[in-house]
Amino acid sequence: MREADRQYFSRLESQLDEAFDVAETAKQRGADPEPEVEIPVAKDMADRVENILGIDGVAERVRELEGQMSREEAALALAEDFAEGDVGDYETRAGKIEGAVRTAVALLTEGVVAAPIEGIDKVELLENDDGTEFVNVYYAGPIRSAGGTAQALSVLVGDYTRALVGIDQYNARSEEVERYAEEISLYDKETGLQYSPKDPETKFIAKHLPIMLDGEATGDEEVSGFRDLERVDTNSARGGMCLVLAEGIALKAPKIQRYTSQLEEIDWPWLQDLIDGNYYEDDGDDEDTTDESEANADDETDTDGEADAEAAGDEDGPLPESAGPVRPDPSKKFLRDLIAGRPVFSHPSAKGGFRLRYGRSRNHGFATGGVHPATMHLVDDFLATGTQIKTERPGKAHGVVPVDSIEGPTVKLANGDVRRIDDPEEALEIRNGVEEILDIGEYLVNYGEFVENNHPLAPASYVFEWWIQDMDEAGADAQALLDDPRIDAEHPPAETALEWAEEYDAPLHPEYTYLWHDLAVDDFCALAEAVANARIENAGETLVVERSETVRDALETIIVEHRQREDRLEVDDWLPLARTLGVVRDEAGELTRTWTDDDLSERARTWGRSEKTDSGGERDSSGGENAIEAVNEVAPFTVRERAPTRIGNRMGRPEKSESRDLSPAVHTLFPIGEAGGAQRDIAKAGKHADTMSDTPGVVEIQIGRQRCVSCETETFKNRCPDCGARTEPDYRCPSCDSAIEPDEAGRVECDRCDTEATCVEPREIDLNEEYRDALETVGERENAFDILKGVKGLTSADKIPEPMEKGILRAKHDVSSFKDGTVRYDMTDLPVTSVRASELDVDVGQLQALGYEEDIHGEALVHEDQLVELKVQDIVLSDGAAEHMLQTADFIDDLLEQYYGLEPFYELEEREELVGELVFGMAPHTSAATVGRVIGFTSAAVGYAHPYFHAAKRRNCDGDEDCVMLLMDGLLNFSMSFLPDQRGGKMDAPLVMSSRIDPSEIDDEAHNIDVVSRYPREFYEATLEMADPGEVDVQIAEETLGTDQEYTGFEHTHDTSDIAMGPDLSAYKTLGSMMDKMDAQLELSRKLEAVDETDVAERVIEYHFLPDLIGNLRAFSRQETRCLDCGEKFRRMPLTETCRECGGRVNLTVHQGSVNKYMQTAIEVAEEYDCRPYTKQRLEVLEKSLESIFENDKNKQSGIEDFM
Amino acid sequence: MPLEGPARIVSELTTRGYNAEREAVTLIAAAERPQPTLERVVDALPEGTLVVRSEHVRSVLEESESASGESSSRSSDSPPASSDSPASPSDSIGHDRSSGANDPTDAPLDDPSVSTGDSSRTSSSSKTDSPVETMGSTDRFDRAGDASSRSLEIANDMTGESTGTGEYKDFVAVFRDRLERLGSKLRGRFNHRPASAIQSMPGGSEAAMVGLVNDIRSTASGHWLIELEDATGTFPWLVMKDREYAGLVEELLCDEVLAMEGTLADDSGIAFVDSMSFPDVPRTYEPSTANRHVQAALISDVHVGSQEFMADAWNRFADWLHTAEAQHVEYLLLAGDMVEGVGVYPDQDEELDIVDIYDQYEAFNEHLKRVPGDLDIVMIPGNHDAVRLAEPQPGFDERLRNIMSAHDPQIVSNPSTVTLEGVSVLMYHGVSLDEVIAELPEEKANYDEPHKAMYQLLKKRHVAPQFGGHTRLAPEKEDYLIIEDVPDIFHTGHVHKLGFGKYHNVLAINSGCWQAQTEFQKSVNIDPDAGYAPIVDLDTLDVTVQKFS
Repeated sequence: MREADRQYFSRLESQLDEAFDVAETAKQRGADPEPEVEIPVAKDMADRVENILGIDGVAERVRELEGQMSREEAALALAEDFAEGDVGDYETRAGKIEGAVRTAVALLTEGVVAAPIEGIDKVELLENDDGTEFVNVYYAGPIRSAGGTAQALSVLVGDYTRALVGIDQYNARSEEVERYAEEISLYDKETGLQYSPKDPETKFIAKHLPIMLDGEATGDEEVSGFRDLERVDTNSARGGMCLVLAEGIALKAPKIQRYTSQLEEIDWPWLQDLIDGNYYEDDGDDEDTTDESEANADDETDTDGEADAEAAGDEDGPLPESAGPVRPDPSKKFLRDLIAGRPVFSHPSAKGGFRLRYGRSRNHGFATGGVHPATMHLVDDFLATGTQIKTERPGKAHGVVPVDSIEGPTVKLANGDVRRIDDPEEALEIRNGVEEILDIGEYLVNYGEFVENNHPLAPASYVFEWWIQDMDEAGADAQALLDDPRIDAEHPPAETALEWAEEYDAPLHPEYTYLWHDLAVDDFCALAEAVANARIENAGETLVVERSETVRDALETIIVEHRQREDRLEVDDWLPLARTLGVVRDEAGELTRTWTDDDLSERARTWGRSEKTDSGGERDSSGGENAIEAVNEVAPFTVRERAPTRIGNRMGRPEKSESRDLSPAVHTLFPIGEAGGAQRDIAKAGKHADTMSDTPGVVEIQIGRQRCVSCETETFKNRCPDCGARTEPDYRCPSCDSAIEPDEAGRVECDRCDTEATCVEPREIDLNEEYRDALETVGERENAFDILKGVKGLTSADKIPEPMEKGILRAKHDVSSFKDGTVRYDMTDLPVTSVRASELDVDVGQLQALGYEEDIHGEALVHEDQLVELKVQDIVLSDGAAEHMLQTADFIDDLLEQYYGLEPFYELEEREELVGELVFGMAPHTSAATVGRVIGFTSAAVGYAHPYFHAAKRRNCDGDEDCVMLLMDGLLNFSMSFLPDQRGGKMDAPLVMSSRIDPSEIDDEAHNIDVVSRYPREFYEATLEMADPGEVDVQIAEETLGTDQEYTGFEHTHDTSDIAMGPDLSAYKTLGSMMDKMDAQLELSRKLEAVDETDVAERVIEYHFLPDLIGNLRAFSRQETRCLDCGEKFRRMPLTETCRECGGRVNLTVHQGSVNKYMQTAIEVAEEYDCRPYTKQRLEVLEKSLESIFENDKNKQSGIEDFM
Repeated sequence: MPLEGPARIVSELTTRGYNAEREAVTLIAAAERPQPTLERVVDALPEGTLVVRSEHVRSVLEESESASGESSSRSSDSPPASSDSPASPSDSIGHDRSSGANDPTDAPLDDPSVSTGDSSRTSSSSKTDSPVETMGSTDRFDRAGDASSRSLEIANDMTGESTGTGEYKDFVAVFRDRLERLGSKLRGRFNHRPASAIQSMPGGSEAAMVGLVNDIRSTASGHWLIELEDATGTFPWLVMKDREYAGLVEELLCDEVLAMEGTLADDSGIAFVDSMSFPDVPRTYEPSTANRHVQAALISDVHVGSQEFMADAWNRFADWLHTAEAQHVEYLLLAGDMVEGVGVYPDQDEELDIVDIYDQYEAFNEHLKRVPGDLDIVMIPGNHDAVRLAEPQPGFDERLRNIMSAHDPQIVSNPSTVTLEGVSVLMYHGVSLDEVIAELPEEKANYDEPHKAMYQLLKKRHVAPQFGGHTRLAPEKEDYLIIEDVPDIFHTGHVHKLGFGKYHNVLAINSGCWQAQTEFQKSVNIDPDAGYAPIVDLDTLDVTVQKFS
């Protein structure tokens, strides 16, 4: 570790220690459930694993093993320890296996997620049909958070330990095998799986699994075929099991195989067959199943029914390989489940769509995509910093980041002019006049993304950073070019570009390389002819071509900027265009075409010929669709393909930056039952009385009984109301009423009755008194806040309430509490590796105070706009988060002063004072918080931080969001005692905190970020062959792991002027109703050249409107009803008509209005966008159903004309 | 079951109300095909006969010798009348097309692959490919029956009567109507009280109540708590786990109408159940029969438009209807799912043979044209058809009626009751069977014996009792799903399994389907009975199953 890093961490840790001391003092004085801070600090992963599992000795052993072997191997070694009894205190064999499996999952998830405690319910031994014993592992839903690899390895570890402790393998009964298959399909249908194995695959796995996978029922839908099995407790889908089998074993088979092959004790030879797909033969009816798999293969490649035609074409005359360009296959997957209001930006690999550019901007990498801010504005603001998009490749989704060093979109204005827009301001000015977006601009993807997704490199766009290396290769002094202040090498004048191309025999500069590959050869010839016949005006500046549809379309296709007049098209900077077209100007100024159509070789003429015969027939169908070969035959220099790869994508979810509130928002975790009304208003509850004879405010509530240790007083508070001593929960056996002390594991069981003891009892509490007392304790008056909201009841095991004083102060500062007592703010995650003081709204002095001394080039930090490399735990807050943190800090200060009687801790006046303060970062489904430090602010609605920080929380940046908490808030207000006593209750709670990030102990996805300042020429060339990402040499972060450089050296290939550009919020969030959003979505689809609006409309109807209509119609005809007065629910309409509880009015929960709200819109959209008859008919049938249900046959609603 | 032994013959005759001479039994047992012989003997018995004598048998045997083939070779394999041992499809399916191939009166239209009996006859036939329309004119016959003796009446059809507008009060009205009408079948038998009155009765008194099942719960000690509801409120009834009625609890569905009798607990907060009664079909129910020998074909689930639709089987069925063997079939009942439909499940269009819904009905109509024009046809919609899914489902709209015009069928709502020459047939598509099968124990309702699930509906006198689950309800002014009058035949489809049997003398038939196993069915382990046509003798309510696949 470098000295600088050491200083950085010790600084963070001493700051943390200071806060800890204050918090510990406070906790000693207050009446919290525990008199100490409840979040233990873990310095490394081993600590976290032990803390989460609560098994002593694990940390030590993990540290021992870590140096010697990989984490997966360590998990297996630990399994041996468990089997031997060296680690863990388990008496039964099932217990040993359980310990080993849990530890393996904890280890593989870096001790961050809740899966090891929440996702594995239990391990038990059952009997095979031959009387031998086998192991059954019960999984639960939260196993999801472990990810596929850890899930699969948990099975392997279970099997390994099984073998070590001498238990037999599981022999699945045939009905159990079938059940697995049916259940996984059911779960996939109901909940959805990332990977859905086909039935034969599932059956094959189930048949061969050496241990049984079981679990809790997670859904309501039941299997219909294989029910009531002896060894399967439920007829519902078992979500945890389905995940482990499908996303674990089926999907990660190659990874598990790596480990099974190393272990003698376990032998999973069937994995090879699984990987190879050889699981059909032992099915008996293999003919059927292979047919099926073939049919499915077809479905996958083309779901729109053109499959047959295309496949047939392929078979009849497969084109020789050299007859067309190398392209990745288009993939439609990202378009699935398109919903209303979230637009498609480009159809799969469509012309006019995002052009793939390789590179990493400083705010980029780790599942993000760089988009030009002008593009963001021109797609009607649907894209903003942090908006998630679902992409065609290389991965599935990206978070959008603004990058203005790439090319912007090219648009056609209402007057016919075609312009490229590289300035966001200009984009806003011309936006209303945009008729068509011919090209949506570039899309920056970093190399590491392809590594992470193991996706073949798609052919690269021809861009400046490649061209300059081509120049170098051709013998030009590239460095001199770059250094020459008189030359703008990136944007040279046309003459210069042509000179370079000719002098060095290098490819034409990308600035003047047009999208020839999108132009058909015939159109290319026509364009050349038109240019040869053109005039030159404006002292040679402007080329004037006679306007014709062909020429205009051609110029629009290859995106040459031009102006359109009544009868002519004017192109400036036209010389490279003419030269590329093989048109020269002689001394007299006359334009001459140097070639005729017949000069083109056969290969050039038919290059990229599409298999489909042209439907229109206007064009000679023998002509190629790609003119790049023709260009290279007629141009006097080499012309590379400008944008061979287009990436389709659509909007996923919008960016997020808002406080996390329970619904309804809660100020304090103090129970008040129904007394506070639907708002859970404590003041109102204090005045509530059921009848005239009741004392107002006295309410019976389920609450934990506590007993004072010194004076035996019974109370529900954590401090004795009489003597002020701390109290302890008073557990009683429900059967024999004897007092039970918790054992070491915290279990409270009555040995005599074998039942679990509890301290929960119904108790009358005077809420009014509690409320008044609390107000008095903190010295606040009721007018300090609008409303103080409590909870209806407590969901924790011991039902210990929070001191109400905390809620009063939260209400005063308008912050609300999460289920664990903390105040949280959610933000979409985005990565950033270097920042400028200017964009963070801080000054250089503040950065220097945080230990930033030099910029990325090693120069002293003096200017606001120098780039500095971000330290690994420093984070940038969104404006909203900063505001919220300030409120929280005020709350904490008041809490310390008015409740704990200590000095205030923060004392913040301005938001800039937040810089340097510590926070917790924490992701959903995890159980470990990571300490971060505030470095600045951004107007984007996202949380920018180092990719390692996000990875430490087990997030990537593909649209994920997670929360920050103010450090002192977590320390003072979090308590395990508040956590719900149910499956998943311990998720999303900071059971442990990591004080420093060790890059080796984070999700290895983050190691695949490339850290270079330029990609080598060989890289670009390799992309043209669609090489495997592993074959090229670009340094990624993985290479510095474990070295002194592991925290530094994150270089980037592209800069961006500001990490917040483009709209601050996506239009999806600013537009009002769903209808407005959908109108905007369809409107945009019409403008975008790369989008087929009919397909968008079709998909919106198919995936949004129809499911909504059908779902609501179904819900209508089997709905519950609810009392409007007391809220009581009835499964069926009561025969009394009125509420059986209170006599109030009962009404439906699903009304006609909610059933048919989209009906007319759907029909109109289907009509307007010319959807398929199948879709229209489905709507028609539904409309008739609605009429039949909601209209009286005898009294049809009359049209308005009846009244005229 | 085949009638191998004399003992079985005796028992068979006994179930039909006859005694038999020993010699008569021996003669029947010695006949080449005892079962059909027995049938014909019974058919030929003079009215009022009580004992089957040897002469009866002899005369029948001689008669059949003189006729060189027996057209009855596969008619009438009647299920035993006892509801306890219903015939399962496989029993009667043995009589397939091939067995009739020796019959000279059989139309020579046999598909060679089926007609294994006599290949020379098939090859000599030049009419194999002749168009359907002309076949009748050559060696066809007219329907045996005289059209004037036919009669067909429809009841409970709600097509065009859908007056509900989906309001809360409409739902309340439906359930109140259910309690009123089904309750009236129980009230006479008990000294019942409304729920509110029972609450105020003194502890220990005897009480009875008629109501809708509102909730069924098991208690911690394994007893059952059943909440009955009437228009005054609810009252909890406790069924002790070791009492005789405990076994009935697992048959209960929410929202069916029940009567309970029992003793109030000391605090009158609950009653202990002594007996439980269902509206049910009386054990003594005597079905009506037709006055002449006439048959009806009961089918459903044609699924035209599906890639799995079995056109060949359908054509064989249609052609068979033109043969002399089918001469007594004068009625054709279709219990829903004429076509595969659109949008029934996600991505259905990829599995459709005909994607356009109207084209599907056009195609269905073409298939319907192939059956003889002189059949009387009645059809109801199913869940794949282009009508609302919520039940009751009105019959098809004008546009679809105009498409399905072949042979001018009667198109009525699901459910409806059609009375054929006095024999009432309750036609219901059968969506609720899925729920009955899912909720009830395996031995009481399962997919292999769909008629058992139908018995439950007959017992509850309601085609789809449970609200809120699988079946969907559209509220109308009355509960059209009630089985107000006991039908003579209960006909359903939907589950694609063939099964029939008798419950308290009511014949329950679930017709199979005309769609081969789909991918979905394969995945959930359903093996459909495709290509069968159950034929019912309306004069005896006996069933024969014809196989065409």
